[in-house]
Amino acid sequence: MPQLLGVFEQPDHVAGAARRLRDRGYTEIETFSPSPFPEVDDAVDEKPSGVRLFTLIGGLAGVVTGYALTIWMANDWQIMLGGKPFSSIPPYTIIAFELTILFGGLMTLIGLFVRGGLPSFRMHPAYSQRFSAEDFGLVVRCRERDVPEIDALLRDHHAMEVSLVEA
Amino acid sequence: MTPPPAESVAAMIRPTPVAHDSQVNRDLLRVMEGASLGYFALVALAVGAMLAAGGVWIWQVYEGLGIAGYKHPVFWGAYIVTFVFWVGIAHAGTLISAILYLFRAKWRNAINRSAEAMTVFAVLTAAQFLGIHVGRIWKSYFILPYPNQRALWVNFKSPLLWDTFAITTYATISIVFFYVGLVPDLAIARDRATGWRKLLYTVLSLGWQGTSKQWKAHNRTVLHLSGLATPLVLSVHSVVSWDFAMSIVPGWHATIFAPYFVAGAIFSGFAMVLTMMIPVRRIFGLEAYITDYHFENMSRFLLLTSIIVGYAYGAEYFMAWYSNVEAEQSSFWLRAFGPYWVSTWVMILCNGVFPQLLWFKRLRTNIPFLFVLSMLINVGMWFERYVIIITGLSREYDPAVWGIYTPSWPELVIVAGSFGFFCQFFLLFLKVFPVVAIAEVKELEIHARAHGEGH
Repeated sequence: MPQLLGVFEQPDHVAGAARRLRDRGYTEIETFSPSPFPEVDDAVDEKPSGVRLFTLIGGLAGVVTGYALTIWMANDWQIMLGGKPFSSIPPYTIIAFELTILFGGLMTLIGLFVRGGLPSFRMHPAYSQRFSAEDFGLVVRCRERDVPEIDALLRDHHAMEVSLVEA
Repeated sequence: MTPPPAESVAAMIRPTPVAHDSQVNRDLLRVMEGASLGYFALVALAVGAMLAAGGVWIWQVYEGLGIAGYKHPVFWGAYIVTFVFWVGIAHAGTLISAILYLFRAKWRNAINRSAEAMTVFAVLTAAQFLGIHVGRIWKSYFILPYPNQRALWVNFKSPLLWDTFAITTYATISIVFFYVGLVPDLAIARDRATGWRKLLYTVLSLGWQGTSKQWKAHNRTVLHLSGLATPLVLSVHSVVSWDFAMSIVPGWHATIFAPYFVAGAIFSGFAMVLTMMIPVRRIFGLEAYITDYHFENMSRFLLLTSIIVGYAYGAEYFMAWYSNVEAEQSSFWLRAFGPYWVSTWVMILCNGVFPQLLWFKRLRTNIPFLFVLSMLINVGMWFERYVIIITGLSREYDPAVWGIYTPSWPELVIVAGSFGFFCQFFLLFLKVFPVVAIAEVKELEIHARAHGEGH
């Protein structure tokens, strides 16, 4: 099935085109943006990224590890300090806090890799350096006979150029 | 169905024209191109300072800490002072990137990348001093809780161990933050680079194409990292302050220490960003991206944090008087009028008094003035830590064990070398990574373009 690439100048034009295409039942849509524009990303797929689950798991793992590590180690090698209990929560909270941040941050990075599909070893055939300049791109896969209709639709949404993507 | 219009069929056949680029890309990537003689001279200076310090450090490893100025009762000297100084410098980057991101302060875009880079390099510099200070470098890993055949574990009730966890977490998270922000900009550089740079940026940009899925995950990642880094940045210097505040040394044992240190860290961090970015802007002609408006906003931060720090200086004296504890009172009296009076007055003038000139808008927008002031603040903040650490330790409870500390020349060479260590990384950064967050600056430009056309 052929793929059509529309090149746009404005983020709201891409977002509008993507919404319209999805209303028409085209699901294989990909966009290229030079900068973060949530309206474009949401127009393609409004589902949340899923990174938050990674952050949550990392953070929880961190707080549990922080308390478990300190309490277990302090009881395994007992040093009496100022008559304080071996399992002292206030000082260990600092370790637990730091590990919450550390594990949460590292899991967020893994979340970016998993949910963002990084690293990606194959560049999309429609990608070009104009999309790391100032242009926006929208690629849609469609049947041969729908090409003229989608071409018109993209131009209707202020596409500057529309071209067929060579596979 | 109607056939497509003739010109659209023609457009499909016509190959896409090449060489699309934007002014922002060209302006900001140009910073990385070539290198002047002056640049190499600065690199030579920085590396030279670092090598001199490295040589002295090897001698210190051989001879022992005796060659440092440590003598009874002062065993925390210039190395710890400089460690705290660099950890403080490291706070501006995360503040600008995380806290101002959460507050949606868009002016941070011009400076966040360089400030994040400074954070990473300053933490690396600070970490060197832990190794230098412990003397027996080959035993420095004892601070980590690792399984060993003697079945010993570390003491988690010690502030020094909290510090280990805080600093390693901060170093890791600031590197992650810096790198995640870089990925889209590395893709911009990748699309335009040739030779070894092309290979480097291709690997580091991870195949970034700016698809909706990538941006969506990226936006979330930046948001979550900001959310995590905000309490982290406040905790790191609090934990460093507890290295002192958890003891009973007069002048250290105060609950004000955590907020006092955090404000001081932000103050010194912003000063260092100004010190580095004012010449960078001038040399690389970035006036269109880093404007006087950005510098003015940073100077407002300087003014705010200077007031907090100045208040803390006053509160310390008030508490010493109000406590009616003789040791505390004499410690603070000797700070101002004892053997270390020069350091104390340098600290008060540079951190509390001179920044008050920033109340005047004429001075906030006067770039040479800001440059000089930021240098004075850097000096003042080093002396603040010197005053806190040295006056505290050399004048404790019993006058019979009072002593005088003066930094020895090996210590001063190593302290000077730390500036070389920091600057060599920063100089390398200028030539390898985009110095301004290109994708974020472009976001504002595209928004402006959309509104300019009357949408």
